[in-house]
Amino acid sequence: MNNFSSKTAIAGYGATEFSKNSGRSELRLAVEATLAALADAGIDPGEVDGMSSFVMDNNSEQEIFRAIGGKDLKFFSRIGQGGGASCAPLQQAAMAIACGVAKVVVCYRAMNERSEYRFGTPMHSLPPTSDNVIFAYHGAAGLMTPAAMIALMMRRYMHETGATSLDFANYAVTARKFAATNPNAFFYGKPITIADHQASRMIADPLRLLDCCQESDGGVAIVVTSAERARDLRQKPVYIRAAAQGSPGGSVSLGGFYRDDISPRDESAAAARQLYAQSGLGPKDIQAAILYDHFGPSILPSLEAYGFCARGEAKDFIKNGNIEIGGTLPLNMHGGQLGEAYIHGVNGITEAVRQLRGQAVNQVPGVKTMLVTGGSGLPTSAAILGVE
Amino acid sequence: MSYNVENDRGHNAPCSNRDFDFFYRGLVDQRLLVQKCSDCGTLRSLPSPCCPHCRSFDWQEYPLSGKGVIHSYVIHYHPPLPGFTSPHPVVLADMEEGVRILAAMDGTPPESVTIGTAVTTEFVRRGDVAGLRFRLV
Repeated sequence: MNNFSSKTAIAGYGATEFSKNSGRSELRLAVEATLAALADAGIDPGEVDGMSSFVMDNNSEQEIFRAIGGKDLKFFSRIGQGGGASCAPLQQAAMAIACGVAKVVVCYRAMNERSEYRFGTPMHSLPPTSDNVIFAYHGAAGLMTPAAMIALMMRRYMHETGATSLDFANYAVTARKFAATNPNAFFYGKPITIADHQASRMIADPLRLLDCCQESDGGVAIVVTSAERARDLRQKPVYIRAAAQGSPGGSVSLGGFYRDDISPRDESAAAARQLYAQSGLGPKDIQAAILYDHFGPSILPSLEAYGFCARGEAKDFIKNGNIEIGGTLPLNMHGGQLGEAYIHGVNGITEAVRQLRGQAVNQVPGVKTMLVTGGSGLPTSAAILGVE
Repeated sequence: MSYNVENDRGHNAPCSNRDFDFFYRGLVDQRLLVQKCSDCGTLRSLPSPCCPHCRSFDWQEYPLSGKGVIHSYVIHYHPPLPGFTSPHPVVLADMEEGVRILAAMDGTPPESVTIGTAVTTEFVRRGDVAGLRFRLV
């Protein structure tokens, strides 16, 4: 394989504020984030020649490009599977740049998913695409929301591992503790207790309200360029050590109920195998992680899938303080999507960039290598990022 | 853009295609059907056009007994869903023929739904649409 490991780097990032009502168009959010990311990198917008995002973003590549005064867009791609794909644009950018197809690729995500429409609502499912007929088939059973789909997977996980709602609470409390000291987080200054979690209402038993990510308005963009170019720019380069997608046989979008292990783990494990092979790194080399928390409980099988602990041990790994700053694997220091915002995982990539540059509010001292992942329980993506 | 909605699929399920129509037609006839590969005999539950084991496109409708054991479940609370009264269980069962089926289990108290419990199938109507749900044996 023509390995693209460390041949490209994140040179800049930009973000709008995260809110429940941005007061402006989704396109404007995307353009603000894109221009901020380019300014952060010190790259003129006229140099952008590639753009990548993933489905469920309503902003077309060429409209952002038109707005920023782009000149010649040569590479544009959009990956399926919503939040599962949050790290896939990094792989797209790295491959495009390593192949010489593009030189400066903007990866973006911008949505008014709270103020203009509601995410996480029942998935009514016309037209009959290959995925929609499955959502409809499951929907006929009364399984219509992402929360309920993940809940069905997690109930079996609890049965097999002995994890309980209190183990889910341990993650939620940690995420909200980090958010409480992050001024950009929606839940800044609002930590929760185990009792708050246990008192929060059921959404899809075993998932409680405080297990669920937020619906958020906001935009995020990331600029990727070659490693050589990045070294001459304003910011410390954050190298893409590895980036991968994962979708093993038997994967169904939020509906992999027909394989031996229905917990949200197989796709993540498939991505993990590629990341470690590409980079020559292993779980022991990862010093901090951003794991996708559409629903906090999914963190447990993700910790196992990426090799940080054995099957069934994630509950104790969390309980024993490993995900705290100072632990063996500080996790979601921005507060996660439970605490900061739900920009479909891309705000997690920007947190990794801040951490690796040493600019985060909840900084992990001296962190040089991090894992970032996309949503689990569906075809997914992930990346290993690092600094020298 | 508009879609051709055939009026004569033999069922009223709102979002189906030619791979899934047999399942919904089965519900109209109060039969729980899966696909059986005509070449290698493998049963498959979630419909698909081709056998993932031998890649044959030939298959037959195969009726299940309706008997199974709960593999996992969720109790849906929020938001309220059309045709259901919250909270209502949704159950994934290991059927005695060796395939899994996902179905509603509304009508059964949530507290009596647990992994390993034996269930059987009953046929219901939800508005104009024929459906099925599990109940305790």
